[in-house]
Amino acid sequence: MQTKLQSIKSGGMLTGVLKWAGAIAVPIAVFAVFLLCQGVNPIETYANMITSTFGNSYGRGEVIIKSAPFILIAAATCLSSKAGLVNVGGEGQFALGALFSTAAAMFLVKDAPAVIGIAVMALAGIAGGMIWGGIAVGLKVKANMNETITTVILNYIAYELVSFMVYGPLKDPDSFNWPQTPEISEQLQLPSIVSGVNAGIIIAVIFAVAVWYVTKKTRWGYKLKVIGSNPLAAVHAGYNVGKTQVIAMLISGGMSGLAGMLEIAGVEMRLRQTTGSNYGYLGFLAAWMAWNNPLAAIITAFIMGFLFISGNVLEMSSGLPSSTVRILMSIVLLAILWKGKGDKK
Amino acid sequence: MKKKLKKLMITGLAAVLALSVASCGTTETATETASETESNEQTTIGFIFVGAKDDYGYNQAAYQGSVAIENEFGDQVKILRSENVPETSEATRVLEQMIQQGATILFPTSYGHLDPAIEAANNNPDCVFFHQGGLKNTDNVGTYFGTIWQAYYLAGMAAGGVTETNQLGFVASFPISQVLANINAFELGAKAVNPDVTTTVIFTGSWSDPAAQTTSATTLIDGGADVIAQHQDSTKTVIELCESRGVKSVGYHIDASELAPEGWVTAAIWNWDDLFVDMARTAIEGNFDGSIYDGMYRGGLAEGIVDLAEFGQCVPEDLQAEILEAKQAIIDGTLNPFAGEIKDQAGNVKVEAGQILTVDEVEAIDYLVEGVIGSME
Amino acid sequence: MMIETLLSGAIGSGTSVLYAINGEIFSERVGVINLGMEGCMIVGALAAYAGAYAAGNPWIGVLCAMAAGGVIAAMHAYLVISRKSNQLATGLTLMFFGLGIAAFFGRNYVSASVTGFQKIPVPLLSSIPIIGNALFNQDALTYLSYFLTPALWLLLFRTKFGMRLRGTGEDENVVYAYGVNPTVMRYIGVIAGGMLSAVGGAQLSIAYTHTWIEGMTSGRGVVAVALVVLAGWSPSKALIGAYIFGGAQALQTILQQQGVNISPFLLLMLPYVFTLVALFVASRRQKQSMPAELKKVIESSSG
Repeated sequence: MQTKLQSIKSGGMLTGVLKWAGAIAVPIAVFAVFLLCQGVNPIETYANMITSTFGNSYGRGEVIIKSAPFILIAAATCLSSKAGLVNVGGEGQFALGALFSTAAAMFLVKDAPAVIGIAVMALAGIAGGMIWGGIAVGLKVKANMNETITTVILNYIAYELVSFMVYGPLKDPDSFNWPQTPEISEQLQLPSIVSGVNAGIIIAVIFAVAVWYVTKKTRWGYKLKVIGSNPLAAVHAGYNVGKTQVIAMLISGGMSGLAGMLEIAGVEMRLRQTTGSNYGYLGFLAAWMAWNNPLAAIITAFIMGFLFISGNVLEMSSGLPSSTVRILMSIVLLAILWKGKGDKK
Repeated sequence: MKKKLKKLMITGLAAVLALSVASCGTTETATETASETESNEQTTIGFIFVGAKDDYGYNQAAYQGSVAIENEFGDQVKILRSENVPETSEATRVLEQMIQQGATILFPTSYGHLDPAIEAANNNPDCVFFHQGGLKNTDNVGTYFGTIWQAYYLAGMAAGGVTETNQLGFVASFPISQVLANINAFELGAKAVNPDVTTTVIFTGSWSDPAAQTTSATTLIDGGADVIAQHQDSTKTVIELCESRGVKSVGYHIDASELAPEGWVTAAIWNWDDLFVDMARTAIEGNFDGSIYDGMYRGGLAEGIVDLAEFGQCVPEDLQAEILEAKQAIIDGTLNPFAGEIKDQAGNVKVEAGQILTVDEVEAIDYLVEGVIGSME
Repeated sequence: MMIETLLSGAIGSGTSVLYAINGEIFSERVGVINLGMEGCMIVGALAAYAGAYAAGNPWIGVLCAMAAGGVIAAMHAYLVISRKSNQLATGLTLMFFGLGIAAFFGRNYVSASVTGFQKIPVPLLSSIPIIGNALFNQDALTYLSYFLTPALWLLLFRTKFGMRLRGTGEDENVVYAYGVNPTVMRYIGVIAGGMLSAVGGAQLSIAYTHTWIEGMTSGRGVVAVALVVLAGWSPSKALIGAYIFGGAQALQTILQQQGVNISPFLLLMLPYVFTLVALFVASRRQKQSMPAELKKVIESSSG
C-alpha cells in the first residue's frame, strides 16, 4: 500500500482522477442504456433519484442513517484485514450484536436510566459480535480453519439463531404472535440529533478514523501490518501472531456487533428476523472497494447508502422490478473493481 | 504525495459529511413536498410487497389487485410499486419515499409491514393506508384481510375425504399465525369428514425455496402422506412434484389445477380485485373516514374475497356436495371452522365446546391443533 | 424407510452443490477463489429453465446454463486476473449481480412449466433394498454427476492438462518454464468452474425442482465454496461435502416429519452446523492442501 502510493508520479494524479471519473461514468452510462432498452427515460430517472434523495431533509437523513452501519462494518472489516484476516462475517456479527443488545434491553436494563441502559446495550452488542467473531478466529488459531469460510457459515447460523429467538424466547407477547421482540423502552432509544438522524453516524465515523489511526500510527498497528503482510516475518520478529489476530478479530466483531446495537437502539427499536439483512455483505464490499482503507471506506459506504435509498425511487419511478436496483448497484461496484487501485505501475 | 492524497480524501470526506448533516437542519417535511407534486386530478397509490410481485403466490395475488385498480381507474390513478420490501423500518422509509413521490393512498401488503406503516401514517396524517392483515388500526390506517382459513377448512374436508393412508402432509413456511390458522383449519376440516386423519407439517423456513419445498414434500410422501397441502408463495413446485409421485395435492393462493390433472384436489384462493378497487374508490372520493374500511375489515367466503377452487377429478361427487353444503353453511353463518371443542397438540382444551374463536383470535393463533404432527417453536 | 428418504434427499439436494464444489475446485486449483459461484449457479438455473422452455429439450437448457455461468465466471476471471481486482470482493459483487440479472430476466418464467429432466429408474439396480431407489432412481444430471466426479479427478490428476492447471495454482513460474501461459490456464480454470457450477444451478431448476424463482439457489453456491476446503481441493472428496450438506437438509425435514419437539429454526441450522463440524474434523485430520497461489490470495489480504 505504502510503496504503491509513493510511486505515484506527478501527473499520475490526473490519470487517477480520470479513472475515477470513468469508473463512475461508465456504470451510469451502461445502466442508462439498460433503462432505455426497458423503455424508461434514464435522465428523468436519474434526476428523480438524486432530487428525491438529496433534495429534502428526509432523504438526506435516510442516506446518513443507512450509511452508518455500512461504515462501521466496513471499518471492522478493514481492521481485521490488516491482520491478514478476511472477515466476511459482518453479517452474522451484526445480527448477534442486535440480538444481544435487544435481549439486554428486554431483560437487564428495561427500566434503567438512559445512560446506563444504552451503555449496557452497547456492551451487550459488542459482546455478541465478539463472540461470533471469536468463534471464527478461535477455529482459525486452534484448528487452522480458514476464517473466510467459517465467517460465511456462521452468518447462516446467526440468521437461524435470530429467527429462533424472535419466534421463541424473545417474542413480543403483545404482537399477536408476530415474530418480533417488544419495542425497547423509550429511554433506551437513541435520540435524534437532526432530522431523525441519531448519533450512529458520528460513532461510525469516529470508529473509522480510529481504525485508521491505530493501524497507521501505533506500534500495535505496525505489528498488525507485519502479521497481515508477512506472517513468516512476524514470527521471526517474535510477534505472537495468533494472539494478535484474535485481538484484531474480537475488535472487528465487536464493532460489527456495535453496529447491530446502533441499528436496534437508533433505527429499528426492536429485533425482527430480517433486521439488517445484507448490511454485513455491503459493509464488507464497502471496505474492499476502498482497499481496506477505513477513511476511503467512509466514502464507499456512503455511496452504498445512497444507492440503497435511491434504489427504491428508481424502482417506483421506472416501474421496473426491485432486481433493477441490485443490477445498478453491482454495475457500479464492478466498475470500481475494474478501475483497480488506480495507482498501479 | 501520499500525504497530499490523504489530505484530499479527508477534506472531501469532511465536506460531504458536513454538507449532508448541515442540510438536514433545514426543516422542510416530506408531506410538504408531497402536496406540491400532487397533480389536480390524478391520485397516486403506492403498493409495497414483501416479496417479488411475480412469485406466483401471495405477492402476485396482491399485485393483481393493484393492476385491477389501474384497469378500473385508468389515467385517474398512478400506481407506484416497490417489491422485496423487508418488514423492518425499511418499509417505513419506502412508504415515506412513495409519499414524497406524491402517493396519498398506500397499500402495505404484508402483515409485518404493519408497525412500519403505522409509523409512516402517524407522520403523514393526510394519507390513507390500507394494511393487509393487520390487527391494529389508527385514524388513517385501516386493515383488510380475507378469512382464507374458511376455504382451507373446506380444502381440508376434501383432503380428509380422499386420503387412503389417513396421513396428510403440509409444506409450511414459517410458524406465524396466518400459517398456523391454515394448518389448523385444514386438519379440522379433514377431521370433520374423517376422524382418524392426521396432518404432518414441515416448515421450510422460507416463502419460496423450491429445493426445500421439494425435499420437504418428498419426506412427507415417503413418510406415507398421500395428500399434500401447502402455505408457500409459489405453489407450483409441490403440486408438480406430487403429480409426478402419484399423490394428491391441495393448492393455495390461485387455482393451479392445470398443473395436476390427476391429483388435483382443490385450493384455497384469493380474489382481491373487487375489494381493492372498492377500497381505492372509497379513498379517492375522500370517504375513507367512517367507511367499512376505516377499521379492521374482514371478508371471507360470503364476500367472495376468498374462495375454493374447482375440485379435481379425484374428489367424488358426494364429497363435493358435502363440501359445498359446508361452504354454504359458512356463508350463512351456521358453521364456523373454529367452533369448540378444539384441543391443541398436547390435548389441552383451547376452545370450549359451544365457543367460537373470533376472527381476531384466529389471526393471532399460536398453537397447532390436536392431530397435527410437527413442532413450531 | 427413513434411511432411504435420507439417502435420496442427500443426493437430491446435494447434487447441485456437488457440481458447484467441483466448479469451485477448478477455479481454486488455478489460484482463483470465486465467491461468485452463487451468481453462476443462479444464472445457470434461469438459463437452463429458459433454454429448456424455449427448446423443449432439457439438454439445450444445460448448454444455455453453461454459457450463462461461463459469462459470469469470465467476468470474474477478467477482473481478478487481468485487472487484478480483489478476488473476494469481486466474487461477492458478481453474486449480487447474478442474483439481480437472473431475477430481472426470470420474471416471465416463474409461472412457466417445463418438462425438464425426469427420474429414470435404472433397471435392477434401482430395486436394491435401501440404497437402490436413492442412487438409481434419479435424473440424468444426477447420473452424470456420478461419472463426472471421477472424470474430473482423472482430468485434474492424471492428465498433462490437469497437471498444468494445478501447476498454475501452485507455482506459475514452473508452468511458464514448460511453455504454458499461466494466464490462459487461469482463465480456463475459472470459466470451466463457472460452467460446472451453472450445471448445478440447472440441476436445481430443471431436474430437482422443475421450478424457476428468483433467489432459488439460496446460498448453495456460497456453501460450496466452504465445502471445497472439506474436499481438500479434490473432486474425489467433493462427494462427501455435498452429501453431508444435502443429507443435513433431508435430515432436518425428516426430524420435523417425525414430530421431534425441536424448533424448526434450530433444525434449519443443521446443514450449516454440520458443515462447520465437518470442516473442523477435516482440519484436524488432513493436512491443508490448499493450492499455493490461492494461499497467497487468501493471506495477502492486507490491501
